[in-house]
Amino acid sequence: MESLGLIREFLQDRLGVAPDLVVSDAQLDTLGVDSLMMLELMFEFEDRFGITLSKDLKSPQTVGEMVALMDQLRSEQS
Amino acid sequence: MSQRRVAITGLGLISPYGGDLPDFFARLLAGESAVHFLRTDDIPRPLTIPFVSSPNFDVDGVLGRPLASTMDRFAQLGTAAAFAAWADAGLTRGQPAENRENWGVAWGTALGGTLAYEKGYRELWQKGRERVSPLSVILGMNNAANAHISIQLGLGGVSMSHTVACASSAIAIGEAFRRVRSGEAPVMLTGGSDAPQAYGVARAWEALRVMATGDETTSPQACRPFSADRNGLVLGEGGAALVLEDWDHALARGATILAEMVGYGTSCDHSHLVRPEATGQERALNAALADGGLCIADVDYVNAHGTATAEGDPVEVAALKLVFGEQAGRLAVSATKSMHGHLLGAAGAIEAIVTVMALREQSIPPTAHLQEIEPACLGVDHVTSARRDVPVRAALSNSFAFGGSNAVLAFRAVAR
Repeated sequence: MESLGLIREFLQDRLGVAPDLVVSDAQLDTLGVDSLMMLELMFEFEDRFGITLSKDLKSPQTVGEMVALMDQLRSEQS
Repeated sequence: MSQRRVAITGLGLISPYGGDLPDFFARLLAGESAVHFLRTDDIPRPLTIPFVSSPNFDVDGVLGRPLASTMDRFAQLGTAAAFAAWADAGLTRGQPAENRENWGVAWGTALGGTLAYEKGYRELWQKGRERVSPLSVILGMNNAANAHISIQLGLGGVSMSHTVACASSAIAIGEAFRRVRSGEAPVMLTGGSDAPQAYGVARAWEALRVMATGDETTSPQACRPFSADRNGLVLGEGGAALVLEDWDHALARGATILAEMVGYGTSCDHSHLVRPEATGQERALNAALADGGLCIADVDYVNAHGTATAEGDPVEVAALKLVFGEQAGRLAVSATKSMHGHLLGAAGAIEAIVTVMALREQSIPPTAHLQEIEPACLGVDHVTSARRDVPVRAALSNSFAFGGSNAVLAFRAVAR
């Protein structure tokens, strides 16, 4: 699964956000991702993609930033 | 500060029958059981127990998916019940016109977010994973329900949880009552919730050998308090909430006053963890009567703790006879756990609601399935098989917990 697909699936399941609203420039907080839900989302990435996120990782602001960050980490840690 | 009168202005619950509050009480009056047979898909040994669920509870519909995602089941049940009580009281959520910085929440839960913890255990030990969801702590914490309720209703006063086994929400209601009566808080949202269907929790209760048995056919009649053939309690999940309000505050905003809460008594048996003592319960009963300015002749109904255990039922009747003496024989008593089950941390709250409704409707629900009264439980006027429409001026609700903690709540009827 691609990073964008995972974010869409997660947000639909946990927050009831329609997938078509999860686009690159959408703000994550506007979609309902608060600090707790960000932790849960990052946990999901670690779980599903087998990557490790450092504790001091700066939280991305938009869906596009999240996708870019996760793609980069997947590439580095593959 | 002079003591304030305490009005009950809102009731709310997640009904084990799946309907609203009037439907819930009508079914109790009719002696209808909400108990069903539960078979889980746990491997290798599923749970196969009589149980009480919350059918038709539309979690996402009531709470919304984002909020519900941050809650364990007990907090979902509790918050939804609180919303229902709030609406029943005619109070609004969000952007209130008046300052609510000293309104508070007192909540009871025996177990807290047990399902969240159990999910974590399964992840770690069953699936061999190294870690659990980051939300586990906030899902599992015992004060999750009252915290969510305070946040959602915008209440800035005390927000506290009480964990006193089966007396948890009775204690919560009593402590809320004291806050309103003292003038500290004009409004308190109180009640309790629990979800004891966690596999390990249900197995632990089974191990105590106090659980009723039953199958698809017999489960609805499995809980028979005071009956000669009783064989134990029936667990259930649920949430129940009440709005307690300063009497003058309620009148000033034109609220409907459903009943008056007048007294609260507590005690500890200080003798044994699971074997109750009549003298300990007697102290709590007398304390509630004294606190409420009631004499025994004022009380027309007692909603019993009545769990249908071999140990508990005779001791409760003995305590009532100690307190009511020669008047015990005319004292109407029923144990509605026979129909809505034992909701643990929500038990005191759902039974307080039943008691208030009995005062409101001037009608007492029966102890269901009570055919032959256990000889040791004789001596009070058991309401059996059918509703009893009689004047009910004042009533008590008993909650007697493992650990020997006792709580009794006292209510008075108000003219409609």
